[in-house]
Amino acid sequence: MRPALLIGLAIAGVTVTVVAAVNVQFGLAFLPTGTEPDLGPVFADAVWIACGLLAIWRRPHNAVGPLVLTLGFVDMISLTSWDEALPSTVVALVSAFVIPLVVHLFVAFPSGRLTTRPQRALVAFGYGAAAVLGPLGLITSGSATDCPACPPNLLRIEGAQGAADAVSLVGSVLIVVVLAAAIAMTVARWRRATGATRRALGPVVVLAGIGTATLVAVVVLEQVGLVDLSRWVANIGGIIYVAIPIVFAVGLLRTRLHRGAVADLVLELDAHPGAPELRDAVARALGDPSVELGFWLPDEHRYVTGDGQPFEPAPRAGPSASALTTIERNGERLAVLVHDPGIDGGLVQAVGAAASMAIANARLQAALVAQLAEVRASRTRIVQAGDQERRRIERDLHDGAQQRLLGVRLALRLAQSRLEDGNVQTASDVLGEADAAVVDAIEELRALARGIHPPILTEEGLGPALSALAGRAPVPIDLSIDAGRLPPAVEATCYFVAAEATANIVKHATATRARIDVDVADGVVTLVVADDGIGGADIEGAGLRGLRDRVEAVAGRFQVDSPAVGGTRVSAWIPCG
Amino acid sequence: MWEANCGADVRDVTDEFGPPRCHDPRVTLTVLIVDDHAGFRHFARGLLEATGLSVVGEAEDGRSALDAVAALRPGVVLLDVMLPDFDGFAVADRLAELPQPPTVVLTSSRDPRDFGERLARSTARGFIRKDDLSGAALERLVAAG
Repeated sequence: MRPALLIGLAIAGVTVTVVAAVNVQFGLAFLPTGTEPDLGPVFADAVWIACGLLAIWRRPHNAVGPLVLTLGFVDMISLTSWDEALPSTVVALVSAFVIPLVVHLFVAFPSGRLTTRPQRALVAFGYGAAAVLGPLGLITSGSATDCPACPPNLLRIEGAQGAADAVSLVGSVLIVVVLAAAIAMTVARWRRATGATRRALGPVVVLAGIGTATLVAVVVLEQVGLVDLSRWVANIGGIIYVAIPIVFAVGLLRTRLHRGAVADLVLELDAHPGAPELRDAVARALGDPSVELGFWLPDEHRYVTGDGQPFEPAPRAGPSASALTTIERNGERLAVLVHDPGIDGGLVQAVGAAASMAIANARLQAALVAQLAEVRASRTRIVQAGDQERRRIERDLHDGAQQRLLGVRLALRLAQSRLEDGNVQTASDVLGEADAAVVDAIEELRALARGIHPPILTEEGLGPALSALAGRAPVPIDLSIDAGRLPPAVEATCYFVAAEATANIVKHATATRARIDVDVADGVVTLVVADDGIGGADIEGAGLRGLRDRVEAVAGRFQVDSPAVGGTRVSAWIPCG
Repeated sequence: MWEANCGADVRDVTDEFGPPRCHDPRVTLTVLIVDDHAGFRHFARGLLEATGLSVVGEAEDGRSALDAVAALRPGVVLLDVMLPDFDGFAVADRLAELPQPPTVVLTSSRDPRDFGERLARSTARGFIRKDDLSGAALERLVAAG
């Protein structure tokens, strides 16, 4: 908030107060007969304006200040009366907004924000009703002759007299309803709130309670004829009216005291705290023990806690409501704070700014821890995948080639005994069966060996190996390979990814075509295996997880795009020196 | 004492030694082969029958082996240790609980030492490595009991 604007607002406040005081004291136009000019409300509104200015000065980012100030101005204007139709009309139209502003203030205090849908709906309804009922009241207020006591206005339509009473009744009912709703919401919020919100709302709730009781008492006392007592009680109402902006301003400024805590925080952070101590220090500075701190990992587009665990920040509703504030440094996102929504946004920003250097350091630490945890997890998975692969090979050997060779040995012994018996024909038949079993065993061993490590990959490189892979696949595969010989680990990883992705296409995708693209640029191999199948691959399944581990083990990046329609696309980017 | 599980084709043999008993040299062994590899079953049947044994049936897993024993009442069950459902040791234990249990001979392509103590503790009569299988080896084991 620029000082010039603040000074301008202060001058405007003084001017309006003086004009209103003069108007009320000496204007005397259309005052109902027998009414004494009363400067009390003028001074009460001056208090509102002053409190609004104070709140704006100290808490420039909070909407409560402007609301208090506006309410002071609007109510001050509504106190004046004019002979000319134009100012009189303006005053009448502006006056209708006093009640919606009160509602807005109660509902938005102390954060200045409307956070729930019912809150926004109530405030919008209040402003909407004022915008409609204000002009409608003027239109229907009847002619000057019908209503000599009515102030002149530009919207008056002759002949609509009488309807004004109905509009006025509707307006009165709506005022009671929206005020009651605002107070009920505030009390409910106070009952649920903890920490800063509860501390700020307490006095507001007390004042609202006394104010309501006073209003009811005044009405009841007037009804039973105790007019003097009623006037006396009404004076209490006047005091309450003055007290309200003070309570709002004090409630708002109390968080100002916490700025001392920001200074303490800066000192604490000088000791270079780790992530847990950092969170505790921030929680102390905000006066909110429930504060959570999530560090942003820009490469992985996710948050982690200080010890590297995944962190999903979500604003909570209900009894333990929370708000999210993103902490940035030089336009770069560092972390997110999950905190009590009642804490002033400016204070959160101040704490975030004070802690941003320490948060940047702690984030690096958290990123390292997260990376280490991921490396450990992937190392375990790679070892497990290796063990599983060895078990599979043992089973394949045992169930396949070994069984066939055992059968062959039995067959040879059988043939031998037949030959010894002189039964040449039977021996020949058995040898024929044995030969077929040997052929099967050889083919099985060949396939198994190729699955472990295809010799063509070692001898001729990735291109010919992928051609052979595509040639064996039952689905037509288009190849586009633009790569010479690459380091063995890179070739093996690319081949493994392509082979596994191809196997998945054959098994799951129900694709009619697939393609494999390999391209080398700027020291990075890009491998893409895409199909036109049904998509919806299980990205977190063991197979694709294993591919990711394998690619990341050679410092590569792995991605699977598998929408519900449009096929699956497996991509790997592997640095190749 | 007549034992039906010695096989149907010896019921009529009676001489001065009285009715034949199980494992009597005059009695042909009746064998059920239990193995999940069809190729092995095929060649094993050929080899055993060439030696004069009677292969009365084949089964491919533990459950069908139990059913086949109940239906065919073989004298000997040649039982693969590694089956798709139960393992051979469990099948052997179930067979040993029958009122008139068949003689169970375990077999595997693995070395018997790979099974450690389980083989010694097993209710089976013995173990023949698959590549050592012959009618004579099976008869020797059965007779040794």
